Amino acid sequence: MTLLTDTLKDSAISPKATTSMSSETSDPSRPLIRVSDFDFFYGEKQALFDINMEMLENEVTAFIGPSGCGKSTLLRCINRMNDLVDVARIGRGKIEVNDADIYDPRVDTIELRKRVGMVFQKSNPFPKSIYENVIYGLRIQGINKKSVLDEAVERCLKGAALWDEVKDRLDTSGLSLSGGQQQRLCIARALAVEPDILLMDEPCSALDPVATAKVEELIHSLKDQYTIVIVTHNMQQAARVSDKTAFFYLGKLIEMAKTDEIFMSPKNEQTEAYISGRFG
Amino acid sequence: MTQKGETNRYDLHSRRRRFLGLDKDQALKGLFGGNALVSIIVLALITFFLFKEGVGFFGQYRQDIELHRRSGIEYVEIMKEQSAAFTDLNRYLNSIRGEHATLLQEQGMAFKDARAELKVYEEFIYAFEDLGYPVSEYALEMAEVAIGARDMYEESANLREHRENLLALGRDEEAADVEVLDVDLSLFVGMLKEGEADFLALNDALAAGLLSHIEKLPVIGIDSLDAKMQRFAELSRMFVGELEGYESRLAEWDPDLPVNMVSAFGSFLFGKNWVTNSSIQDWYGILPLFTGSLLVATIAMFFAIPLGVGAAIYVNQVAKPAEQNFIKPYIEFISAIPSVVIGFFGIAVFGQFVREVSGWTILSGFDIFPISERLTAFTAGCLLALMAIPTIFTLAEDAINNVPKSFKEASLAMGATRLQTTLRIIVPTSLSGIISAVLLGFGRVVGETMVVLLCAGNRIEIPNFTNGIGTFFEPVHTMTGIIAQELGEVVNGSIHYRALFMVGMVLFLISLLINYLAQKIVLKYQISRG
Repeated sequence: MTLLTDTLKDSAISPKATTSMSSETSDPSRPLIRVSDFDFFYGEKQALFDINMEMLENEVTAFIGPSGCGKSTLLRCINRMNDLVDVARIGRGKIEVNDADIYDPRVDTIELRKRVGMVFQKSNPFPKSIYENVIYGLRIQGINKKSVLDEAVERCLKGAALWDEVKDRLDTSGLSLSGGQQQRLCIARALAVEPDILLMDEPCSALDPVATAKVEELIHSLKDQYTIVIVTHNMQQAARVSDKTAFFYLGKLIEMAKTDEIFMSPKNEQTEAYISGRFG
Repeated sequence: MTQKGETNRYDLHSRRRRFLGLDKDQALKGLFGGNALVSIIVLALITFFLFKEGVGFFGQYRQDIELHRRSGIEYVEIMKEQSAAFTDLNRYLNSIRGEHATLLQEQGMAFKDARAELKVYEEFIYAFEDLGYPVSEYALEMAEVAIGARDMYEESANLREHRENLLALGRDEEAADVEVLDVDLSLFVGMLKEGEADFLALNDALAAGLLSHIEKLPVIGIDSLDAKMQRFAELSRMFVGELEGYESRLAEWDPDLPVNMVSAFGSFLFGKNWVTNSSIQDWYGILPLFTGSLLVATIAMFFAIPLGVGAAIYVNQVAKPAEQNFIKPYIEFISAIPSVVIGFFGIAVFGQFVREVSGWTILSGFDIFPISERLTAFTAGCLLALMAIPTIFTLAEDAINNVPKSFKEASLAMGATRLQTTLRIIVPTSLSGIISAVLLGFGRVVGETMVVLLCAGNRIEIPNFTNGIGTFFEPVHTMTGIIAQELGEVVNGSIHYRALFMVGMVLFLISLLINYLAQKIVLKYQISRG
């Protein structure tokens, strides 16, 4: 098995290697994230039961399900943010990113998180300027060259569809932006370290419909370059933005299929009940 | 409602039980409001009392300084200053002999031989001392005149007041018995001034004698000591040159020059002397106490800031829950130790320890070590640091804890290490909270009394800041210490009593300023977090 860090180093030499390679091989069904037989515990309480799923490159996968069903837990397992929880532990199974087991003891979470970015439910820009917010990930890697940073700021803010709104006030505080702008700033910040995967934990739950539409549009445009996993409570949103949808219930993956299929003709009764609004 | 089915459900008048016309809510409101009111009133009374007792100080102090001038004591002090300069010269000369004696002792010379060797100094020093004798004797005589005048004047003023009191009470006969002498200070000053010519003649003789005396400088034969002898001759010449300065100050001195409030104010705030119960003149200059307090507080903060803030960062960001549960209560426990116990520890153990350590050969590179004093600003500063650490630690830890968890998560999710997250996100975000924690710790240190009173050495003198690190190892006195030490012994209402209240006022204003700044900064911090 290739070690993740090795894989990462290869891709780090030329950042676009992974994307260009995938287009060359033109194998759209290559799974970038694979979860197999995965059990997960918070202390004695089991949060995830025997999860098996694959998330394909350059696709948007949506996790839906009622509160407490484990969808956010699984998301936070993919970049090992659950390591911050003292009592969290894995019972069984593994998660692979780009064919490397991310829970291998030799894997450095720092390297992993540079490849697997995350956007949180509540927008959380740092109390710094917009400029400094975007380049935070570069600064911590020791990159201080002005030209590189300027270029990154423009690229990421454009990528997050925020450039036109803030280009004249890059040195004002990130906290002075509106809620939707803040969330897009957080996405821009996540893009700066050039990840391959973006994890989004209910990114629109605190936004008004207009801001939500903008972020959804953004997710659409990011799909070409990134593999996106999004947790959402909003089923219309899942239907709008995702290629695949996975329905979770009580820590189990009930059903996963193409978004059209799952919304039109769910195979499982529970899925149908949830989607049609009969429970949850 | 089911049991009371028969009562009208829509009788909406209050049914709550009343006490003195108040229901429970109103009574509670009154109770808490009353508590708040009482504390505000008590605080206001304390402030008012401080002001009232302190405010008379400047008027009295101005009169005091004026009397000091009009009675001629100021004039005599110029002469005394000159005598003191001469005494310094004498001390320098003696120190050369002392050095020679130590040298001989180290060479293992017998006492008797050494004495013979040092004979060369004897005559020279004796003759030198004799030269200064007439002038200092004259200054002493004049001082007696001036002090006598001042005392008589005060005595008569007291008697006059006594008589007026009796008259006011209607006890005329007793009042008639009180004899009040009218003291004309200008007469005494006239005496002093008349003698000025004599003093100048004495000075001329001193100058001439000194100049011829240093021609007879003994030759010792040891290079370093001979160089010091040459230096002594040079200093003597300089002294002769300065005599003119003293003389012109004497000539220009005017007893009728008014003393205004500003100079009383300046003499208090910037006066270099705090002298009480002196037979000549009392001075209430706060500078030695202020610098002492500041020096001790600086030393304390030097240790307390890194330790307190560092511990706060460690406990909040790095420590495991088990460590947190141990460290936090432990540090907070320090603040439960009574300050007098810490002071006692300082006297009994720590002061001695510092002195021992300063004698270690490792430190012999610094020429200020080993130190001779046990109780110094450093001793007190270290112990005060111990007392400031819990304050700084607790408040800084709170400030760090207030940084939203989402900042930390966001930073870690970007691939930042724990250290990077702490230094780039957590600390900058909580910086204003940490600064205000430090300020409040500083306030605690400046206001602390017991430890400094016991351990700072209580020498009322401005520390010699030219000493380098040696400055920190000088005994000092502090504003809090002087109040605790002297307030129990002063006459109620006297100028000394009021002076102590003014010191208290200065302390009060300093604390107020520090707390105000700390609050300002915290407020700014809350806004910056949006």
